[in-house]
Amino acid sequence: MRNWLGPFAFGLIFAAATAWAVIGAIPYGLMKIASDRLGQGGVNTMSYGNLANPDRQPVVRPSPDLAYSSCPYDLSAGPLAIDVTPVPGRYSSLSVFDAATDVIFVRNDVEAGGNPFRIILAREGQAVPARAEVVRTNHDRGIALIRLLLKDPKEIGGLNAVRRQSSCATVTKLK
Amino acid sequence: MKSWHRYAIALVGGLTVGLGAAWALTNGGLSNGAIASGPWTTSLGFGTKTADPVTRALVARAGLLALPAKETVYWSATADAAGAPLDGNCRYRLSGKPLDARWWSVTIYDAKGYLVANPANIWSVNGANVALDAKGEWRVTIAPDKPAEGAWLPGTKGQPFHLTLRMYNPGQAFRADPAKAVLPQIVKEGC
Repeated sequence: MRNWLGPFAFGLIFAAATAWAVIGAIPYGLMKIASDRLGQGGVNTMSYGNLANPDRQPVVRPSPDLAYSSCPYDLSAGPLAIDVTPVPGRYSSLSVFDAATDVIFVRNDVEAGGNPFRIILAREGQAVPARAEVVRTNHDRGIALIRLLLKDPKEIGGLNAVRRQSSCATVTKLK
Repeated sequence: MKSWHRYAIALVGGLTVGLGAAWALTNGGLSNGAIASGPWTTSLGFGTKTADPVTRALVARAGLLALPAKETVYWSATADAAGAPLDGNCRYRLSGKPLDARWWSVTIYDAKGYLVANPANIWSVNGANVALDAKGEWRVTIAPDKPAEGAWLPGTKGQPFHLTLRMYNPGQAFRADPAKAVLPQIVKEGC
């Protein structure tokens, strides 16, 4: 049995290291999957998703009351400009998640005073346009998500035009 | 048996145990929360930078892209008022007063957190579409078959279900003491 003491200790340490590594990797892996599913329109561009239903559930626990627009981003080519246009009189919010699933920015329609707004999402050190509202992040990748509350699922068609006023794109001009 | 054989066995065993432990530790779902109110549980640490690695992985599995508590509080229920698991074969009364939030909804999911097809295409009720009675209370029936009257949230026969209560922009009174919030009741009426 003494021959097994070393291997047993090694196995225990290896088990702990594996668990630690996997737990650390789960958020990144799931975020990657979500980006791929949500970003069928491409990266650094806003996709205006249809309402969740049993056949369309890109993420776990989707709300069937919300129209989600999503922008999977990659800042490696430069900062990202996100433009949001709230819809009068109803809840909407922009939330930005990094590759580790952490929320790095949230603003709802009330906080925005019901007015359209723009933020620039940039890595530390990236040059950004002057006088812009800048959100800095430590990760290249992540997802920006706009939630818009519907009172009735049938409203989604009528809100299409205003939803499309919100967008995201890589910043190409700094002035 | 040679020494390296023993180490190889330990390596495979360690890998298996490690993977299993990682999965089990992050399998609590949103019900593995820090605050309970009746059958409802939540954690106010979702989506924040302070979430520890286990909580972060747990939330990523159970509610990826969830908003922080200031914006939305997500309550989860997997059992009724008596503590019995929620069963799609049974009929429940879900009722309460309007919640202290700008907007709220209750959504029905399967045990893994996904919507299940039903003929009515209804998966949620919310503050905008429930009617209040003379006492100022709303009431919804959760059952596989449509009730004779009142609002209906379809359950699925032969499947357990989970409920998620979302409170968007919760009020100040709620945020001051979330554990004291009066949340909807989930009472089993029959199976």
